Amino acid sequence: MLAVNDLNLVVKTGEVYGFLGPNGAGKTTTLRLLSGLLHPTAGSATVAGAAPGTSASLARLGAMVETPAFYPYLSGRDNLRVMARYSSASKSRIEPVLKQVDLADRARHKFRTYSTGMKQRLGVAAALLKDPALLILDEPTSGLDPQGTVEMRALIGDIRREGRTVLLSSHLLNEVELTCDRVGVIAKGKLVAEGTVDELRARSGGTALLVRATPLDRAQRLLESFLGADHVRVTEGVLALTVDPSQAAAINRRMVADGIDVSELRVSEQSLEAVFLQLTETPNPDASPQGERKAL
Amino acid sequence: MIASLRAEALKSRKRWANWILFGILLLTLLVFGYVLTYVILKNPPRNFESPVPASVLKRQVFPENLLPNVLSSISTIGAAIMIILGSLSTASEYGWLTVQTILIQKPGRVAVLCGKLLNLAIITLLVGIVALASAALTSYLLVSIDGGSSSFPPATTLFKGFGALWLQLAVWTAFGMFLGIAFRSTAAAIGGGLTYLFVGEALIARLFRDTPGVKEILKFLPGVNGSAVNATFGLTFRSPNTNAPLVDATRGSITLLVYLLLFTLLALLIFQRRDVGGS
Repeated sequence: MLAVNDLNLVVKTGEVYGFLGPNGAGKTTTLRLLSGLLHPTAGSATVAGAAPGTSASLARLGAMVETPAFYPYLSGRDNLRVMARYSSASKSRIEPVLKQVDLADRARHKFRTYSTGMKQRLGVAAALLKDPALLILDEPTSGLDPQGTVEMRALIGDIRREGRTVLLSSHLLNEVELTCDRVGVIAKGKLVAEGTVDELRARSGGTALLVRATPLDRAQRLLESFLGADHVRVTEGVLALTVDPSQAAAINRRMVADGIDVSELRVSEQSLEAVFLQLTETPNPDASPQGERKAL
Repeated sequence: MIASLRAEALKSRKRWANWILFGILLLTLLVFGYVLTYVILKNPPRNFESPVPASVLKRQVFPENLLPNVLSSISTIGAAIMIILGSLSTASEYGWLTVQTILIQKPGRVAVLCGKLLNLAIITLLVGIVALASAALTSYLLVSIDGGSSSFPPATTLFKGFGALWLQLAVWTAFGMFLGIAFRSTAAAIGGGLTYLFVGEALIARLFRDTPGVKEILKFLPGVNGSAVNATFGLTFRSPNTNAPLVDATRGSITLLVYLLLFTLLALLIFQRRDVGGS
């Protein structure tokens, strides 16, 4: 089975890169390839200036792939001691990273007694032990409650402020939107889009003006003659206009002058979810094609 | 590799399962191999029948028979314990997925496995030393209690005997370690290893020992070769239950060394080349 095919992506130094894709798209396989856990059948990669899996690459890479995996019979601190020994990292790094992930108080407890959130945080702590330039985090908020998600997001924010490059894999769109500078979307093993969240939105339809007006049919006819039929669409009693939002005032004046009652006029940005679904061709009957962000 | 060895040593030291296995080995050796044997032979039951009198048989727990007695225990329960120890050391890493956490650290696959190998070699060395020393102490106490006299074998014989003991412990540990990597499952590795030991080696080798054809195959089995090495450290009295070894001690030692090398190389080869996937 071909898990990843013809994938070409670049993560720039110092950025938080969101690696987005539905389950089974090839995200974790890609991260395993970059960490040297898997050997590609074809192609090559450079991770922190060296081939994946080599000592030169691993020396500058911290990673948590798929799940935080540690020894259940060891405490959090002892697990980090083991990892520090494997990586030849200084044991003086252990306490600072425990503090950074807010695990210092529970560090003497066995890993098997940890909650999902604590396990994830220990995974991040282990990844930070080597003081890496590049951090790979695979679904770091997976299984976390809302509080844990917020804490993990804050932690990633801290890591970013330290100037580290972060490659963050997730299928949680909100997480990527709030955390990442750029996003790569992978589907069926191929990169289908790459750019900032705004660029992806623009590529998939960008912003729209939503108008609620009475009578609807007259408003539709007026706007089609004014803007062109291609730019006007009616969805569930609301007119969706694919025009520059700066035209909102002019459109409003025109409708009012024509005796049309305008009860709502606002900018709608296409949600990342809609962009994601469009890019990955995942049918989702429940998802609205337009997600509202801010009223005008 | 030294970094990996230090990490492995920390893990081994903190793992209760290792201490429990070691405890079982010592307990079995000392209780069944020494104390109970002595108690039974000192006051044999009325229906006790043996071509060798109990008063002679009990000398197997005395210092003069330290090596044959320890080696005999190690070739059965010791082998089983070491297979479990070796399996746990590698298969658990797959079960807990810690193998990928380790490999994402810096050392490289060969260094990780060599660290593991070296750690297990040191553990087997320590197990051998403690087993032999505690058996020596127990035998000394028993002969003192008995009021008889017995002396330990000469130092060179003791040294050779310890070498034979360590070699067998190391072979079975390497076998368990190899199975752990090959199966990536603790249950499968331990189950497979013990089945081989108790069915392949003990049962079949005993039942078909004199069957032509099968006998030739048996000469290549690690357990049979271990028994041949053990036979050079015979009891000080003639035991009626002793079978003549199928191969000589030199061939036995070489075969065991080949097995040690083979299991190690196979484990290295698989560990080096195989992808590390997830659940």
